Amino acid sequence: MPNQEVKPVDTKRIKEMLDRRKAKMKRYLSYCAHCSLCAESCFLYTEHHKDPQYMPSYKAINSLGKLYRKRGKVDRKLLTEMKGIVWRNCVLCGRCYCPIGIHIPSMISFARTILRSQDIYPQLDEVSSESWL
Amino acid sequence: MIDFIRGQLISISLIIFILGLIYQVIQFFRLTKKKEWVYPPVEVKSEKKTAGKWVSLCLASLNGTMWKTDPQMTVMTSIFHVLLIAVPIFLLGHNMLLHQSWAVSLWSLPESVTDILTLVVVICVAFFLARRLFLARVRAITGLYDYVILLIALAPFLTGYLAYRQWFNYDTVITLHILAGEVMLITIPFTKLGHMLFFFLYRFFIGSEYSFAKGARAWS
Repeated sequence: MPNQEVKPVDTKRIKEMLDRRKAKMKRYLSYCAHCSLCAESCFLYTEHHKDPQYMPSYKAINSLGKLYRKRGKVDRKLLTEMKGIVWRNCVLCGRCYCPIGIHIPSMISFARTILRSQDIYPQLDEVSSESWL
Repeated sequence: MIDFIRGQLISISLIIFILGLIYQVIQFFRLTKKKEWVYPPVEVKSEKKTAGKWVSLCLASLNGTMWKTDPQMTVMTSIFHVLLIAVPIFLLGHNMLLHQSWAVSLWSLPESVTDILTLVVVICVAFFLARRLFLARVRAITGLYDYVILLIALAPFLTGYLAYRQWFNYDTVITLHILAGEVMLITIPFTKLGHMLFFFLYRFFIGSEYSFAKGARAWS
């Protein structure tokens, strides 16, 4: 298994990937009203005692949103935190509802793609401090 | 400065508002494309229904919606958005100014009614502010930007109410009212207030489980 800790983050590659989908993703992020009405549509949110970290908008804003805010200039520590958000807190079931019509799964999926480009992804033999679900 | 706010800035803000919205619509159609295949593939004719059956079907369709999960928010946000548009358009004072400038005006609501409706808008904004402050899930995604946008939405109505009541110095308050309206118009196309336009574009044109119409477009 590749060592996820050693390789430096290729911020240039992250920026290129962010720029390629900038038009759609930045629009989604900027038109999010931060209303939290998507919360109840996520079964992970409802089953985790309504923990805001499982809210679809929270996941999108704190993964892809952070990548765009920092313009791709992120370190491995931040990417590892995002790994938990996009893989542990979301299963991409597509159930999330947004009154404005923002497609949240595509944002989480794109964030996963960016993390994978930096060799950051959940490993089956990883010993994690808490279960994945 | 005051002459600028009451004069040219009105035209500038209207131009920015209209051109900004047109730009966003053009960008939306440029960034999306017509889908080759749209569900359902054939037109399904619906059976004839009695009035009672139609009403019960409409009520049943609310089952999986926000009305069930968050009825207070559904009511408050619906009232807020209807009044946000209706109150300025059917306000007597605005229609008198329109008539003076362009010899056209719309039908106006009685002033006592618009007075109360303006207060209702202020109460709705207070509800949204309370949500942001006291609900954990809203607080988790709230920042300074959200409070500023709430203020931008509130300011025209609050200053308009104060101006109508002639509380404080009228000239100052009315100038602030005009400025608040201009700021709102300028910021709509470029901030999350743009959901005014994008709600319709995304929910009617982009295909998804929650599309209102056929959703014949997709992101390219």
